[in-house]
Amino acid sequence: MSRTDLGPPDYREMLPPIIKENYGQWQYHEYVQPGVMKHVSESGAELFTIRVGSPRLVSLDFIREICDLADTYCDGYLRFTSRHNVEFLLSKEENVQPLLDALKLKGYPVGGIGNAMSSMVHTQGWIHCHTPATDASGIVKAVMDDLFEHFTHMDLPARLRVALACCLNMCGAVHCSDIAILGIHRTVPRINHDRLSKVCEIPTVIASCPTAAIKPDPQKKSVKINEEKCMYCGNCFTMCPAMEIMDPVNDGIAILVGGKVSNARTGPMFSRLAIPFLPNNPPRWPEVVDAVHKIVEVWIADAQTGERVGEWINRIGWERFFDRTGIPFTDKHIDDYIFSVPTFRSTTNFKW
Amino acid sequence: MGYIDFNGQQYEVDEDGFLADPTLWTRELAVFLAKNEEVELTDEHWKIIDYLVNYYKQFGIAPMVRKMVKDTGFSVEKIYELFPSGPGKGACKIAGIPKPTGCV
Repeated sequence: MSRTDLGPPDYREMLPPIIKENYGQWQYHEYVQPGVMKHVSESGAELFTIRVGSPRLVSLDFIREICDLADTYCDGYLRFTSRHNVEFLLSKEENVQPLLDALKLKGYPVGGIGNAMSSMVHTQGWIHCHTPATDASGIVKAVMDDLFEHFTHMDLPARLRVALACCLNMCGAVHCSDIAILGIHRTVPRINHDRLSKVCEIPTVIASCPTAAIKPDPQKKSVKINEEKCMYCGNCFTMCPAMEIMDPVNDGIAILVGGKVSNARTGPMFSRLAIPFLPNNPPRWPEVVDAVHKIVEVWIADAQTGERVGEWINRIGWERFFDRTGIPFTDKHIDDYIFSVPTFRSTTNFKW
Repeated sequence: MGYIDFNGQQYEVDEDGFLADPTLWTRELAVFLAKNEEVELTDEHWKIIDYLVNYYKQFGIAPMVRKMVKDTGFSVEKIYELFPSGPGKGACKIAGIPKPTGCV
């Protein structure tokens, strides 16, 4: 039998010598230009980092290409960031410009550092998953094309984090991003009664429903759904393949805003619903791109320096957010889940 | 979906080899399914399989791994020794219990 439980290779084996030598002894860093960072250590050593956007879903050829670049300019060292950008780590300043030129030639975008938009954290979508309500890679490409200038320039009031999840599982970071794009369903699951008892554990299916809309149906050896209680989360389909929920016409996208994870200035925040539904419109999702574009533009025009989307909304209030972005406020925006009461307004303070 | 031939009969299985209809499961079929998993069934294997079959019959779900360890007295390591592909893909498949679902 082959060896198991080896764990990942020790990261220290793959550090560039300059990082190994100055590990834990960095004094400061600065942004040289969009996408280029310089770290200076106590010994005076200088490390240059060039950050490059990647589509996350990449081919082996892409990996080999960036390996070639790393071999030529960085002694073979690179890393991936937590937003799946590629960072080339250079110990020689004279290599910075040649690498930037080489990246430009290949069309790899340099940026994503500082008060800029970084890459979108996203998920599988129609590429690989069985529960999505929308695609991931397609929308990410469309939105990043539209906001590309903000990736390559540090021209925003603060960092802008956009994330996408293709269903309510929210794999990734949509629940805590400045702008979140989320796939949602709008129809009740269709139960395949013949198949259900054979492929599903009925108690598990019943327990998977957050609104207790599913009940056993002993006569059919199946379950029934109280359609009044179902809000189409699709959790039962995750547990049971005989409860198909996908619907090409009614599935679509919700946009959430105002989340953050850092503790800088204000504590972390969850993102909250801004637009309840936009249609799936592949391959370019123009409605989604326009909506995100509009929110970003209003935020740029309105926010103070250093103010994240959520902090901006907290300052001006949600009435003004909806007013300035032109997004209609509907009954869908009012939280009606178990823990909704603290989200209601318990004060007379509001803006007309 | 595919089929496996056993005793001159065809049984529908899904792409991972789980029985499409668990009601067709028999002890003889378990021996055949175990061969596909490269497992030679011993008394210890049968103790786990019988436990799973009875638990599923009684509660309609497969037991949690901790429950299984407690009730059978086998450690997780031992279960993996008996069923190299694990309690879900190995033991449940041979016991004719529906394929584990969720984010597996």
